[in-house]
Formats: sequence, C-alpha cells, structure tokens
Amino acid sequence: MAHTATETALHGDLHHDAHAHEHHGPQGILKYIWSTDHKMIAMQYLFTGMFMGLIGAYYAYVFRMQTAFPGVSVPGFGQVSPGEYNALVTSHGSIMIFWVAMPVLIAAFGNYLIPLMIGADDMVFPRINRLSYQIFLLSAIILIVSFFVPGGAFGGAWTAYPPLSAVGEYNQTNLGSSLWLLAVALEFVAFLLGGINFITTLMNSRAPGMKAYDIPLVCWMIVIASILFMLSVGPLIAGAVMLFMDQTIGTGFFDPARGGDPILWQHLFWFFGHPEVYVVLLPAVGITIDIIATFARKKVFGYKLMLYTTVATGVLSFFVWAHHQFVAGIDPRMANVFTVTTLLISVPIAELLFVIIATLYGGAIKLTTPMLWALAFIAEFLIGGVTGIFLGASGADIYFHDTYFVLAHFHYTFFPIAIIGTFAAFTYWFPKMFGKMMNDTLGKIHFWGTIIPFNIIFIPLFVLGMGGEHRRIYNYEHFPELAGDGMFLLRRIATVALLVMLAFQLVFFYNCFISWRKGAKAGKNPWNSNTLEWTTESPPPHGNWPEGLPNVYRGPYEYAHPDRKDDFWPQNEPA
Amino acid sequence: MAFPKPQATLRSATGIPTGRLAVWWLLASEVVIFGGVLGSYLMFRLGHPEWADAAAVTNTYIGAINTFVLLTSSFTAVLAHQAAEKGDGKKAAGFLLLTIGGALTFLMIKSYEWTTEIMHGYTITSNGFWQFYYTAAGLHALHVIAGAIIMGIVAMDAYRGRELQRVELIGIYWHFVDVVWIFLFPLLYIAK
Amino acid sequence: MAEHHDGHGQLDTKSDKGHDAHHGDAHHINYKKIYFTLLALLAVSIIGPEFGIVWVTLVTAFGIALVKTQLVVNNFMHLKWEKRIMKWVLTTSLVLMGLMMAGVSVDILNHEGNNWENVAAQAAVERGLPGHEGELAVEEETEAEPVAAAFNAPQMFGLVCASCHGTAGDGTGPAGAALTPPPANFTDPAFWATRDRARIVTVIREGAPAVGGSPLMVGWSASFTPEQIEQLADHVMSLRPGQ
Repeated sequence: MAHTATETALHGDLHHDAHAHEHHGPQGILKYIWSTDHKMIAMQYLFTGMFMGLIGAYYAYVFRMQTAFPGVSVPGFGQVSPGEYNALVTSHGSIMIFWVAMPVLIAAFGNYLIPLMIGADDMVFPRINRLSYQIFLLSAIILIVSFFVPGGAFGGAWTAYPPLSAVGEYNQTNLGSSLWLLAVALEFVAFLLGGINFITTLMNSRAPGMKAYDIPLVCWMIVIASILFMLSVGPLIAGAVMLFMDQTIGTGFFDPARGGDPILWQHLFWFFGHPEVYVVLLPAVGITIDIIATFARKKVFGYKLMLYTTVATGVLSFFVWAHHQFVAGIDPRMANVFTVTTLLISVPIAELLFVIIATLYGGAIKLTTPMLWALAFIAEFLIGGVTGIFLGASGADIYFHDTYFVLAHFHYTFFPIAIIGTFAAFTYWFPKMFGKMMNDTLGKIHFWGTIIPFNIIFIPLFVLGMGGEHRRIYNYEHFPELAGDGMFLLRRIATVALLVMLAFQLVFFYNCFISWRKGAKAGKNPWNSNTLEWTTESPPPHGNWPEGLPNVYRGPYEYAHPDRKDDFWPQNEPA
Repeated sequence: MAFPKPQATLRSATGIPTGRLAVWWLLASEVVIFGGVLGSYLMFRLGHPEWADAAAVTNTYIGAINTFVLLTSSFTAVLAHQAAEKGDGKKAAGFLLLTIGGALTFLMIKSYEWTTEIMHGYTITSNGFWQFYYTAAGLHALHVIAGAIIMGIVAMDAYRGRELQRVELIGIYWHFVDVVWIFLFPLLYIAK
Repeated sequence: MAEHHDGHGQLDTKSDKGHDAHHGDAHHINYKKIYFTLLALLAVSIIGPEFGIVWVTLVTAFGIALVKTQLVVNNFMHLKWEKRIMKWVLTTSLVLMGLMMAGVSVDILNHEGNNWENVAAQAAVERGLPGHEGELAVEEETEAEPVAAAFNAPQMFGLVCASCHGTAGDGTGPAGAALTPPPANFTDPAFWATRDRARIVTVIREGAPAVGGSPLMVGWSASFTPEQIEQLADHVMSLRPGQ
C-alpha cells in the first residue's frame, strides 16, 4: 500500500503491521516514571489510590476514637484538638472521594480494562495518559504536604463552604486551605485529561466487528461516568478559581463581608457534587454486573435497558443538586422542584439494581470471592439508596440535614461503591493483572470480616442520626441531649466495629502478598469469562496481543448458549 | 525517534479522526468551565446594578481592537488548516506563526490595558465588577498563552512536514478561544 | 446528556475516511468572506451602543456575538460538516450551562425571595448606587486579614476570643459554656496569681498545651503576627481586675 509523503505527514506514523510495534517501553526503574503503557499507569493509579485509602482510613480511626471516647488520647495519634478534628474529617472526606474512589474505580480500572476489553493495544493518547497520572500524583503530594504546613490541614469540611473556607482568619488554616484547593483543582485537571482519553478510546478504537452493543458494560459505565464528570466539573473549577482568589488576594466572590454570595459557592459545588456521586457509582455498577454475568453464567438481563437507564440517570443527575442545600437558605420554591427530581432519580437507579438481580435469577451461581463482593454491593447499596429517599424529601430533610442519618446514608452508598466495588474488581481481575490466583479462603474471611463490621458501624449511626446527632462535632459531651449513655454506647459500638474491620484488612494485604508470590498460576481465563481481556496472557504483554489484535464476532455476555458445548463463547472466536 | 503510536490511536469507529474527537471533548469541558465563570458573572452583574460605574470604565475601543486581533488570528489559523490539507507544511507553519503573532499582540494590548487600569486604582479587589473582569479575562488569557505555546510546537512539526493533522486540531482550539472572547467582549466592555 | 453510542458502529480502521468525507464539502467555504463578515459585525456591535437605546445595545452586542459565534463555529471549526454526535455533545454543554444558571439565578440574582433575603448583597447595592459615593465598602487597603497598620486588638478580641472568653474576658462566652475545663476568666484575681504577661503571649501564640494546658485553647501564630499577638496580650492584660 503506497503512502505518499503527504498522507504520511497528514496521518502520522502508520503501523499497519502489528510487528512494527517493537518499541517495548523503558526498562528498569525508569519504567515507573516514563512508561506510557496503560496497564502500568493503571497500576500506578491503583497503588496510589490504595495508599491514600490507608491514610483516609487512619483518619477515620482517629476521629471515631475521639467521638466515642472524647478527650482520651488516641493511640497512634495523641490528643485530638478541635482544629485537628475538623482537619481529620475534612481530609477523610476529600481523600476518600477524590483520591481513592475516583482513581481506583475510574482511572485504575478504566485504564486497565478499557483497551483490553475493546481489543486495543493501548489508550489513544498514551503520553497524555502518563501526564494525567503525574498531575494526579502531584495533587496527592500537595494534599499530603498540606497536613504538615503551619496551621495544619484545611478543616472546613470537604464541601469547603465559604465564608469559613474563604477567610483564613475564620478557618485558621491559611496555607492548608489554599493547598487543599490547589490539590483538588489539579486532581480535576488530571481527570479531565484522563476522561478525554477514555471517551475517545471507547468511541474510536474498538476491535473490528465490535458494535456499540458489544462493548462490555463496565467500559460503558466508566466512559459515561467520565462524560458526566467532564460536563459537570466546569462550574466547580470556576468556583475553585474564585475561592482561591478569595483566600489569597482578598476578593469578594463568596464572602458576604465583601459583597459576595456564599450560596453561589454551594450551587457551583453541588452542581458538580451531585453528578460526582454518579461518576463513582457507575463504574461500581459496571464492575458488579460484569462479575455477576460471569459467575451466574448468564447474559445480562437487559443490556440495552441497563445502558439507557444509565444514560437517563446521568441526565437526571444534573437536575437534583440543590437537595444538598434544602436548609441552606435557598428559595423554598426551588426546594419543591428539587424534591421532585430527587425522588424521580431513585427510579432509574432502582431499575439498575433490578436488572442486576434479574440477571442472577435462573443462573448457575458460583459463590467465588468476587461474586460475594458483587452480591454485597447490591444489598448494601440498596440500603443506601432507600435511605436517600428520606433525605430527598425536603420536609424530612429539615430534620435530617447535617445529622448522622445523612452520614450513614452516604456511607451506605459510598462504601459499596468505593470499597466493595474496589475489592470486587480487584479480586476478579487480580489473576489477569498479576498472573496468579488469589487464595479464595482468605478472600472469604476478608469479605465477611469487612461486611459484617461495616453494618455494625453504620446502622447505629442511622439511629444516632434520627436521635439528632449532628455531624462534625468534636465532642458530644458538650451537648447534654446528645451525651446520654445510650448514645455513647452506640458510638462506641460503631467505633469498635471499625477497629475490627480495619484489623481484617490485614487479611487482604496478606492475601495479596502471598498470592502474588506463591499463588497458583492463573491461565489466560481462570473464570471462563467471555470478554476480550481474558483472551490474552496473564498478565498481558506490552501491546496486549503481540500476535495481532482480535476481531469481535458477538456480544460480551454470551453465556450458556444452547447450541454450544461450553457454557461461554468468547467474543473473539469466529462463528 | 518519534513516539510510536499504538494502533488504538489510528482507529476510527466513529469516522472522526481520534485527535479531532479528543479536541471536541476538550472543548465540551471548556464550555462548561467558562460557562461557570461567565454565568456567575452574569448573575452577579444583573443583581448588582451599582457595578455600572465600574463597568463604564472599561475601554470599548481597546476591547474592539483585541476582538479584531483575535478574529484575524482565527482567520490565519483556518488558512493554516487549508494549507495543511493541501500538504504544504511550510505554508501552514507560516500561517500558524501569524496566528501566534496575533496571540502575542492580544496579550500585549491586554497588558497595556490592565497596567493602565491598575495604575488608575482599579485593581482586582476594588469592586465586584473588577474581580470578575480580571478573573474572567485572566482565565481567557491563560488559555491564549497555553494555546500559543502548543501552536508553536505544532508549527515546528508542520514546518518539517510532520503531524500535519494537528494543524487543524490546534486551530479548532484556537477558534474556541476566539469564541470565548467574542462573548467576553460584550459582557465586559459593551454592556455597561 | 451526550449520546455516547455512535450511530454507525463503523468498523473503520483508517483514520482518514471521515477526514476526506467532510473536507470535500468544506472546500467550498470562502474563508475571506467569512472573515470580512465577522469584521463588519464587529463594527456594528461597537456602533450599536452609541445610540444609547438599551435594547439596541443588547441586540447588537449579544445578538451579534451569537451570530459571530455561529459563523466561527460552523465555518472555521467546520462543525457544520462534523458528525452529528459532536454537535449533540456541544449542545449538551450549553444546555447544562443554561440549566445551571436557571437553578442558581433564583438565589443569586435576586436579593430577596419567598421568606428570605440577602442582607449583605442588598447593603452592597445600596452603598454602591449614586448618592452613596465614598461609601464603597471594599477598597484596596482593607483586607480580610487585619495585617494593615490599623490592627484593633480589642475589636479582634471581640471577634475571635470573646466567643469563649466573653466580651469582658470573664470566661462566659457562649461557645465556652460547655467546655471542660472552662475558658480562662481574665477578670478573676486568682487567675493572675500564677500567670504573667509572658505566659499570656506564649499561650496566644502556641496554644495552652505549650504551657501544659488544655488543647481546647489553640495557638494563633498562623493568624496573627508577633506584633499583633503582643497587642492582643496587652488587651488581655487590660482586662485584669483593677485595670
């Protein structure tokens, strides 16, 4: 095939021959800095995210100990002062959402899985991929630095409402608050770049024969989540620039003393903040449904239904944001509108769960560790979802706002998303990523040791919230109506359960380590799954399919096809 | 040696070349960012009629000159694209250089304008209008600078006859920067 | 919400197919003509306000901005010939901006609504309107942090310390009521029996733990300069009984 100089110039280097891709990437220690391979970058995001998760969990440990045993020096931390308490809860929230849930669910698994599942050799912009990780890493470092500067870390809650967040004199963390804001802004930039990569890759780089409805749902979910992120984060970036200027040079965008409007920040924040929760939810749902299809040996009950319902959820998610502001002083007429939309959005989400459950029905269910995690996601997220309905009704929210009821609600949604979703994905794709099988017994011990304590932590918090316990209070002994023995007992039960749950995480890390070193060798496809990532080596080599990228002949969930001997039918096998 | 592109980059299931697809998505997110800033400004401005005095200070003629400069630079950018399509890398680079020249002219005029205003005491903390004025135009100027730098890199490649498809892509970004200014101009200068 | 499935499911592996297809049509664009049209529109938008009629100004300024945008986007960016999906995506971005403004303007645009009002903004408007010149609230010299020469220690005490220590410094501030130990009572002679000015300065700067006290009293070195802390200490000293 002749290439004119013009064509080559117009279209860049052409590699029609798979073998031309001989460039194997940097070697040795440098590969951790310069590699553009999507799998390496995925690992980087995964490990950074998990490391940040440990920090966030440590903070949770400290402030729970303070809440349950006020004034007692916390082992491994010391006395908790009010300012430190505020910084701990702020950092816990910020870290878990921006530096754990998003990087692990979207950046790590998205990076790892999307090229593999669509039959591509990498993301479409590998260097921008590397850049986005580096910016992300920088944001994490800046956040950690903010813990050690004079004044300490920002303590104005992850929602950073002004004027507290805008005026250093009020929040007492002049430097920390600006560093926090900078870290969040950089994290947004990293994910905008990453989002462009994911969306473009999914739209354009599919294997020949892979139509839109042949794409595994987890890829769709991650990309739709990226789209939601990209379309919603803009106003908050604008707001962050404005808040930064209020903090540093004394402008008055949000400070009423200077003619600003604090409610504007709230709106800008939550216009993004609400779609953000669906940004993290969708990948978790995608992970769950893929795992369930594999271990129920069944097609997804309604692939297109799920896809369109997800789109509907995404659209609706832009219309509900002010339910976070019902008692903030917004126009009560708007509260009516947002109540209706918020209650409406529970419908498509419930439908997603029904589709997942319907997929299970009649399946040949195998209760492996990943399957247990996927099932737990459904059960726990369901509780989170229904409790959200109480909060979506603005009348009830007048009581519930800023109580532990809200906190328990969002932990019953976020924990399944970020923690259960992560463990589900990790245990399912570990064999592919590391070439070894994880120990299933240890996996199940870890599973039950996480799930049971999780419920024991947060059910008491629902009760406490209904009893009026406010959030973000350093010492409940200061409020006689919240300092009763019964309430403190519940707080202590929750905190002890947290300690148990944290202890069981050691089982997970031990399992990771010994499986990686001495686990049974995983073949290409230990779970007999259909999707493309299972058709190459474990772990996949550079370029994913060095012998030639696959073609696709059917959908991703062709299990238990009546005419076949095997109960699965990989996408790349010719008919 | 040029970075070897993965096959993923060269595929196009949608029919839109990958690079262009990515730039459109970038613009979609930039629309929302600038929409946030400009929307906030609009809402504030409509609620603060007392900003009219401050708003009257901005010099419509300098703003118009800058609009002219950016429109012209958009014109040269699209001519660069036309040249690149025909495979003429050197001509494309030339037009891109003119576009960068437009960017620099814009920035110089803006510096002069801001210096004058600051010397007269109209700083970013003077008043609500000014804080938005400097923030919105400043954010825009940052995008101008970033665009000019990337355009320089693309021009260098184009001059050597390489990656000519990128001329169109940086052009699309540049036109967007122009469009933002097309809205900033009436908002900050004309509508007193 | 953006469509994310393409309408074609094309199996295209060559990157130039869409490129040629749309550029075939685009060769008919006369860029020079578009450019001069844009300049003409610019001229109209500058002349429009000269008439002084508000709606003329608005139409020429913003209406023309819209027309110019349409010209640039369609003809320079070639959106007219682009695949439909990208038009949908960009339209969605704009629609979302409209949605945001619709939801937010109700609170931001108005300074009073159904059972609420924004007192600070109303005051700002009042001050700024003609007839109130010289009362502009914010000038370059005043800043949120009182680091200018005019640091008012008693005022700062009232702002920051009195919530626990009480405006008279007697330890009866509202936020201090439930604290254990209670905030220091500067009007109590017994307090001063074991404390001197140097210790007060240390505690303000570094917090009570620096002298073996309760972490409830935090340090303020991040908020005040050493000179300001000295002035605050002076104020605390002035609260002693007999001062």
